[in-house]
Amino acid sequence: MKHSSFFWFVLPSTVLMLLFIAMPIVSVVTQSFYTAHEQVILEVENCGPFGCTQETSVDQEATAALREAEPLGKFAGFDIYTDRNHLAFGEVAAAWVKSDGLPDFGSSLMNLPFYKALGFTLTYTAIVTPLTIVLGFIVAIAVNAVAKSLRGPTIFFSLLPMIVTPLVGSLILFWMVDARGILGTGLQWLADDPNLSVKASTGLMWIMLMVYGVWHAAPFAFVVFYAGLQTVNTDTLESAMVDGATRWERIRYVVVPHLMPLVTFVALIQLMDNFRVFEPIISFQASAHATSLSYAIFNDLGGETRLLSSAAATSVLTIIGIGILLSPVLVRTWRDFNR
Amino acid sequence: MARLQLKNVNKRWGSFVGVDNFDLDIADQEFLVLLGPSGCGKSTTMRMIAGLEDVTDGEILFDGKVVNDLEPKDRDISMVFQSYGLYPNLTVYENIRFPLKVRKVPKEKHDDMVMNAVRMTELEDFMHRRPADLSGGQRQRVALGRAIVRKPTVFLMDEPLSNLDAKLRVSTRAQIKNLQSKLKTTTVYVTHDQIEAMTLADRVVVMNAGKIQQVGTPTDIYDTPANTFVASFIGSPAMNLVEGLLKDGVFEGENIRVEGLPTGPSGNITLGFRAEDAEIVDGAGQIEAPMYSIELLGEASMITWRLGGALVSIKTNKEYRAEIGDVVRARIPAEICHLFDTATGERVAL
Amino acid sequence: MSSIATKQTPTVKILANGFLIMWLIVAAFPFLWTLWGSFKVEGDFFSKANWANALFGTLTQSETGGSFTGAGYYGAWVQEEFWRAVMNTTIVCVCVVTISLTFGTLGGYALARSTYRYAFWFLLFALMFRAMPPITLVSGYLLPFFEWNLWGRLSTTIIVLVALNQPFTLWMLHSFFKNIPQDLDESAMVDGCTRFQAFRHVIIPVMWPGVITTGLFSFLLAYNDFAVTSMLLSKENQTMIPKIASFLGTTQTKGNVMFAVSAVVSATAPLFVMVMFFQRQIVSGLTAGAVKG
Repeated sequence: MKHSSFFWFVLPSTVLMLLFIAMPIVSVVTQSFYTAHEQVILEVENCGPFGCTQETSVDQEATAALREAEPLGKFAGFDIYTDRNHLAFGEVAAAWVKSDGLPDFGSSLMNLPFYKALGFTLTYTAIVTPLTIVLGFIVAIAVNAVAKSLRGPTIFFSLLPMIVTPLVGSLILFWMVDARGILGTGLQWLADDPNLSVKASTGLMWIMLMVYGVWHAAPFAFVVFYAGLQTVNTDTLESAMVDGATRWERIRYVVVPHLMPLVTFVALIQLMDNFRVFEPIISFQASAHATSLSYAIFNDLGGETRLLSSAAATSVLTIIGIGILLSPVLVRTWRDFNR
Repeated sequence: MARLQLKNVNKRWGSFVGVDNFDLDIADQEFLVLLGPSGCGKSTTMRMIAGLEDVTDGEILFDGKVVNDLEPKDRDISMVFQSYGLYPNLTVYENIRFPLKVRKVPKEKHDDMVMNAVRMTELEDFMHRRPADLSGGQRQRVALGRAIVRKPTVFLMDEPLSNLDAKLRVSTRAQIKNLQSKLKTTTVYVTHDQIEAMTLADRVVVMNAGKIQQVGTPTDIYDTPANTFVASFIGSPAMNLVEGLLKDGVFEGENIRVEGLPTGPSGNITLGFRAEDAEIVDGAGQIEAPMYSIELLGEASMITWRLGGALVSIKTNKEYRAEIGDVVRARIPAEICHLFDTATGERVAL
Repeated sequence: MSSIATKQTPTVKILANGFLIMWLIVAAFPFLWTLWGSFKVEGDFFSKANWANALFGTLTQSETGGSFTGAGYYGAWVQEEFWRAVMNTTIVCVCVVTISLTFGTLGGYALARSTYRYAFWFLLFALMFRAMPPITLVSGYLLPFFEWNLWGRLSTTIIVLVALNQPFTLWMLHSFFKNIPQDLDESAMVDGCTRFQAFRHVIIPVMWPGVITTGLFSFLLAYNDFAVTSMLLSKENQTMIPKIASFLGTTQTKGNVMFAVSAVVSATAPLFVMVMFFQRQIVSGLTAGAVKG
């Protein structure tokens, strides 16, 4: 395709992506170096019969004018990155000195908002991704084993948890595990503890969020693997059989290697999606026990005082995290391409 | 009607050279075949003529006019693609009419022109079907019909027969030859099948690794291959090639000794001869070696030896009988031999 | 395909079937349960006394006289004006899908046909953009949108969603267009079309399966979005998902949760129907990227 026609064809998409993805990234990075203006303070000297007193008051007009003139705020350098709500160098150093042993240090880290969010995000990503792949794989193998007539309905119901809006899907689960809901009651009965509540326990909350994550994402892995299973070379399967491979050996040596590229694909997509875990935390009202990077940004942005700079700094840190997460893939693609 | 010139045409992708210094004049009304193995640059050359691929270097001229920067639509060509490129949503009739429609040929002329093409390609019975309902051969004819409906200055055909089965290929080949002689349109035809090349071409261009190996009439190429590549590519079976030493007109290799060759050249030489030119003898022969295999071809039998690294085959009558491992002799007269420089592969002038 | 190699022994069959039934319960039961429960009163849906009340609607019976009640739906749709949110969602989804597909088909087609290196880089950048959590970008939108008075409008949200959709749409359509033989547009160009005419006359008629599949996913992205819609829309322009979230935020007066439950069921219903009709396309869409990647 000629350069000029390529240019015109991709122009609309490119403009949109530059304006609304690339520019915001720049804007976020810039914003993260500025902080909101402090209020302009007026000092007025009131001299009365008993001498003079200094009185301070907020000059609302001047403050508004200043904020109007420089909406970005004033330059703060890396201050926002290092403050308590983000990388918190000072607090981390203090915790390091004070703590006895790594577990103690870890738990004091988890009291800092950024590390709390990062800790949950990473744990969530690291646990949900492999579980999704395993569950998806087992479901795919099982669906492949049942009669053809059952496959359609099975696929239909399997798709639901994935298709449904994350916020809505997690709400549905949340209501069920509520202490007064069916699953919550079931859990209480299982644990033989009538006061057991997912809402009250950090551990249970983490587990529930991850259960939701697997429930939501497994269908995707399942569909991809199921499609992959349809293309397994029957000749290879049959020759493995003739060579004397058992059922498990056939899965191990023929099916699994055939699906490996798909595993990589699913893992990549899942890493990206799990790293941005967000909606279930809202639905589960879990912020006391678990927050994620996305949630931290959302929290800063929402509410009466929009902490734009703080959100921007967390965003930048998140983007850096994504970059690190994706770097092996990018390096590999780069190498493949140059070969 | 057009004369086509390619002047030192190059195609490179980064450091990869697809077509290397292609230089050729194609005469008006000529049927030219580009022949070579896959990846040799023959399709790329044709696509550059069509304007579907940019020319990195050099010039392409139609009737003396440089067309490098012209869009395909402005080159007045028509093309038959390997997988035909039929429009699946249009009927046969509409497929053939498409070029007229987009080129704004006056509407009232359409029916005559389309029907003419339909008759020439014998598609009368399928005019209102869609491509999906046609057999491979019929689709191929639709593609041909679409190419001839307008009278373009150049026909381009990119392996048009390779998706057909063997039998259909022979009949369609004849049809293409017949059509071209009627229409007298300059034609460039790309194929990897040397039989197609030999049967259709006025001239054949043999290509390998982006370079022209030899240009000539089919007879030229068959009788005097310019190098070992052409020799091993043309003919069925391909020419036998044996490496050895030539000295004072005597060629010597493993289990082969040919005398009476020209005394001029000497050194490492590859000796070539065609299977049908040599014969099996009972007495003394130039080849004397245990037989590797014998295959009955139908009208003849093929005897094969292993001489050094090479398999050498000779045709003999179908009644000939021998067991694998028996010593069999063959007569290779000096006049049927071709000599090639082993190092360069180039033909050594006799 | 029923060769011996793919045949199953009875034990394997029983295991597979048993496992699948369990999975299906896990996958589908929550939806059925919530659908059933949405017609009860809160006291049944969240029953302190007995979980089975939600099944039989004991309190619903005593409170309303029937074992089913539409009170939650009435409250959500009429009292809380959920219908407004539904209208907004419809507008947003229709616009996002249309614009995404229009831009995406053009770009995806060019990417599939270009042999140059920059097409690869373009796709790689798109992939990186795809990895950005939308919420990180939202923090970049807010300030300029406030400044230029663009915040809160449906149109702004639509454009933003289209942009966020583009990387995915481009990837998917690119792989669909790769499957359309290049011979097709090339013969059109030889027959006398410009590149754009070839696209219009020859590619558009055959691209619909891929476009429909991609459209479904664009629709899902727009429909399911929470991060962008909740931050960029003013209260009166809210779409369904942020509206549902706002039900949760308001003080937990009695029955309010049931508004949320019925709104959740209302929001799930279209998706349910969509999966029913387009199951095949969804499956093919999910695998389109994978089989080639």
